Amino acid sequence: MRSNSVRILSAVLLLTAAGLAAPASAGDAARGEQKFAECATCHSVAAGANGVGPSLFGLIGRKAGTVENFRYSPAMKRSGIVWTGQTLDAFLADPQKAVPANRMPYAGLTDASDRGDLVSYLEKATK
Amino acid sequence: MVTKLKEVDVVVVGLGWTGGILSKELAESGLKVVALERGAMRSTGDDYSLPGIRDELRYVIRHDLMQNTARDTLTIRNNPSQEALPMRQLGSFLPGEVVGGSGVHWSGHTWRWTDMEFKIRSNYEERYGKNFIPADMTIQDWGITYDELEPYYERFEYTAAVSGKAGNLKGKIQEGGNPFEAPRQREYALPPLTPILASEMFTEATKKLGYHPFPRPSANASRAYTNPDGAKYGACQYCGYCQRFGCEANAKGSPHMSVIPLAMKNPNFELRTHSWVTKVLKDSDGKRVTGVAYTNILNGEEFEQPAGMVLLTAYAINNVHLMLLSGIGEPYDPVAQKGVVGKNYCYQTGVGTTLFFEGRYFNPFMSAGGSNATIDDFNINWGFDRGSHGFVGAYNVSGGFNTALPIGYRPVPRGTPQWGKVWKAATAKWYQTAMSISAAGSVMANRYNCYDLDPTYKNAFGQPLMRMTFDYKDNEVKLGRHAAALVNDIAKSMNPTTVNPANARTQWTVVPYQSTHNTGGTIMGTDPKSSVLNKYLQSWDCHNLFVVGANVFPHNASYNPTGPVGALAYWTVDAIKRYVKAPGPMVHA
Repeated sequence: MRSNSVRILSAVLLLTAAGLAAPASAGDAARGEQKFAECATCHSVAAGANGVGPSLFGLIGRKAGTVENFRYSPAMKRSGIVWTGQTLDAFLADPQKAVPANRMPYAGLTDASDRGDLVSYLEKATK
Repeated sequence: MVTKLKEVDVVVVGLGWTGGILSKELAESGLKVVALERGAMRSTGDDYSLPGIRDELRYVIRHDLMQNTARDTLTIRNNPSQEALPMRQLGSFLPGEVVGGSGVHWSGHTWRWTDMEFKIRSNYEERYGKNFIPADMTIQDWGITYDELEPYYERFEYTAAVSGKAGNLKGKIQEGGNPFEAPRQREYALPPLTPILASEMFTEATKKLGYHPFPRPSANASRAYTNPDGAKYGACQYCGYCQRFGCEANAKGSPHMSVIPLAMKNPNFELRTHSWVTKVLKDSDGKRVTGVAYTNILNGEEFEQPAGMVLLTAYAINNVHLMLLSGIGEPYDPVAQKGVVGKNYCYQTGVGTTLFFEGRYFNPFMSAGGSNATIDDFNINWGFDRGSHGFVGAYNVSGGFNTALPIGYRPVPRGTPQWGKVWKAATAKWYQTAMSISAAGSVMANRYNCYDLDPTYKNAFGQPLMRMTFDYKDNEVKLGRHAAALVNDIAKSMNPTTVNPANARTQWTVVPYQSTHNTGGTIMGTDPKSSVLNKYLQSWDCHNLFVVGANVFPHNASYNPTGPVGALAYWTVDAIKRYVKAPGPMVHA
């Protein structure tokens, strides 16, 4: 199980790195903030503010599934992901493909430029 | 021993949509509010999240969010000549019992009832004469108008993230909406949901037949949304788990994620869960209520909560039960036709057809409460002449799916064996390739359809169960036949491989599930002789008691009830704010 999901994610990451999506940090963070409205019912960027989803404070560079006091899926805990612009981009494109059986009820953000904007916002706002 | 607690300004009995709206608004106006809820605290994050929420056994078969019939239930009969027996398992209707109430497990269909309902007797008498309404049909005008309620409908629609397309903006008919709706001042809070294939096919077929299909308005957020109170909604993911489930994406308008958390942030508000109200207490002359008696159902401790004002905001059936148990207002007697409490219990009727299309794939596992299309040509269209058909009321027709569950939804052509190899082959063949068309019909009040206290059976607190006497009458059977014929015609025009035709219901039974649209029992009106509450939902008997919910409807329309229930809750907020400044009867009889 473990190696499987890691392998799938690695494949997604390779595709992303090969240039199918624009580098995340090139996005428009202001537009990304608007896109974040889709996430805000569950996620906050404030420290310690877990809701339906975990707080996104300190997201970049964090190991997936490690925010204290949040009940993660086993799939997310053992995904082995470290959140970066690239890993976020791959995850947000199709969450169930990137981490099968994770608990986030979100079908994915298919538009690569929207995703780039959102990731840029997250890179800035979660510091 | 009963512990007497410190008096508060307002005690709210039941914390669903109506209790949640009133608690939030009245706490913000400065009143000290205590809400007593029978059920447990539940939240999206802890309880309605993946993967646990998609559990058909827990939520559909075992009714996890519903009332426990081992503690309290109703006795049921079809007419006064029968002996009523307790309903020991839920079936035909499913009252909720958690913080959020039935507002957690509803689908989200949100309609505006119009003057066609509010002035029903006047309308029919004017057009068809007094003799058109049968002598035993106890319909009456509501004492309120659409224009009075319009801003409150809007308030509720914007609170609950209702997605839809206006059909009539300030009197101008709008392309793509419902041309028969009453004028609205603003568009819906959000645009309609994305239609599913079944809805598109229904839309095309009904257009061809000359009808006026439109997307069904529903409190399923079609995109991310922040409501006027600041509550945040996610976008609907079309997961298909609406009805009977809490929404995992916080996309379905529900009190537990909108008004209730906002009330809970207010220091003027306190919530006590597992608190079962057994009685509303009155002062010695019976002109005012003084609070409520309740039991903590976790440990059996009994309390008296004194309050300046009592608001009954439980499920419609339980509001009526509490009024009868507390002896407020004269109980209704269907034989003598005297009294008011328990009068005009109504339900809904309906017909449905399943269409099977070999080779068309509907993906029934993807849908939302509102991803259907509807026609109102035989509903709020007053141009539809009921005269030649001889019935009062209406029905709306819709095509698509609503919560077509992967395990529970098993469409097969009629005549297929119910188990075994042949059934397995049929269910594999037709699961993906079937769609449905259904009509939901009104039920008019009848003198014999009513509630009272059961003479024999008691609940866990030793109190009499409420007795429901109900059956469809000739009017509903006629309406059902008309609806079945229409639905079958639409189905035929779509040329399916095979079809399970619709049949009119002729008799009501307590199984299987039909609809959780129980109305009436403590009806609003213009005269204390024929109603329990005035137009502000204030008790005619005790002026500091307000009763809010579908129990105030003098009859039941074909539309789902939550639109007017939510609007009337906001309407009552404003009434109570005026009442607080000058306590006393707000309408003089």
